Amino acid sequence: MHQAIHRHHAAAIAFLTALLLPSIALAHGVVGDRFFPATIASDDPFAADELALPTISLGNHEEDYDFEYTKSIFPKFAVSFAGGYINSHPGPNASGWDNFEITPMWQFETDPDSEFVASAALSVDIGGSGARAVADRFTTYTPKFLFGKGFGDLPDSMALLRPFAVTGVVGFAIPGTSSASKAVQWSGAFEYSLLYLQNNVRDQGFSKFVAHLMPVVEFSMNSPTDGGGTTGTINPGLIWSGQYTQFAAEAIIPVNHASGDNVGVMMQLHFYIDDIFPDTLGRPIFGDKH
Amino acid sequence: MKTQLLLLAATVAAISFPAMAHAFLEHAAPAAGDNLHASPADVEMHFSERLEPSFSSVTVTGEAGDDEAAGTVVVSGTEMDLPLKKLPPGRYRVTWHAVSVDTHRTEGKYNFLILP
Repeated sequence: MHQAIHRHHAAAIAFLTALLLPSIALAHGVVGDRFFPATIASDDPFAADELALPTISLGNHEEDYDFEYTKSIFPKFAVSFAGGYINSHPGPNASGWDNFEITPMWQFETDPDSEFVASAALSVDIGGSGARAVADRFTTYTPKFLFGKGFGDLPDSMALLRPFAVTGVVGFAIPGTSSASKAVQWSGAFEYSLLYLQNNVRDQGFSKFVAHLMPVVEFSMNSPTDGGGTTGTINPGLIWSGQYTQFAAEAIIPVNHASGDNVGVMMQLHFYIDDIFPDTLGRPIFGDKH
Repeated sequence: MKTQLLLLAATVAAISFPAMAHAFLEHAAPAAGDNLHASPADVEMHFSERLEPSFSSVTVTGEAGDDEAAGTVVVSGTEMDLPLKKLPPGRYRVTWHAVSVDTHRTEGKYNFLILP
């Protein structure tokens, strides 16, 4: 009898304790010891609450002003909404809103020990949602595989390479019309984290500002399956990550003449909504934050 | 168009300041990769955000995996402190877990060396 009462008391105390203790939140861009920043030219593999506003691209006779908002629905499942305004030169007839794009994403693998994350997504570029002058009238569906891998598990003899990380995206664009070619879209980023170097490998005495800088080289390619040549850009630059925001600036270097004939620049201001509004907008609509 | 986007970004930035965020390690002593000539009395860590004491900790282990703590971890505000035994020359690993008061979790590990 007494043992049963004790068991009930123990269960009640455990239950109340669980209710009172805070749940540990999923961290935007953090896997184990690694922080992955949001990248501009290539999607990052995290299903987290974030806002990129604005992303400005200048060059190749065109100015683009884009935004992307990502909202977590369940833990590790998020939907992003993206759009943008294209201002082409010459003349106003080639300007207007681009199509809106919706992308549900599932972050199905997260391994802190190996600093590895993998996700699957489906981007739907909604045909006809943008201006006729600049946007396709047909819808394009792009299933994607995304991953990120940090190299913190390299041996001590290669310790200075541990701050390196890569992210990548491979997608297959399927237009909803036979007049446009399907295409393999492949993009990624090579990153070297000064914060990782400072905190996990060797303290270099960096200032707080410098420690939060990350040199990065991105690339973004499009290879049509109908035999058309690959086009794309390589984007070296810097990302500065703060507590709530990050700022990135990268060059846009065309890989061939078909990709453009001059070097441009792109910049992005990015907000970590999960950090800014941890108890409201920054948490999944359904389910715990675990 | 450009002005509208920039104004919206500025508005979001302006309302973001009262929040809390991930607790990133800003400074530690001994620090990552330090080569020391004597045993440190403790490991002191300073983070970018206030910590949740119940879920934040640090351990120091020697090459054999022995726990080298001389007491319990003290977590106060943005600081975490672990008193250490007197350590002989060798390599030591610091492993930390930090949960900020808004429950975001960060972690890390690094080595330091005590020279003979």
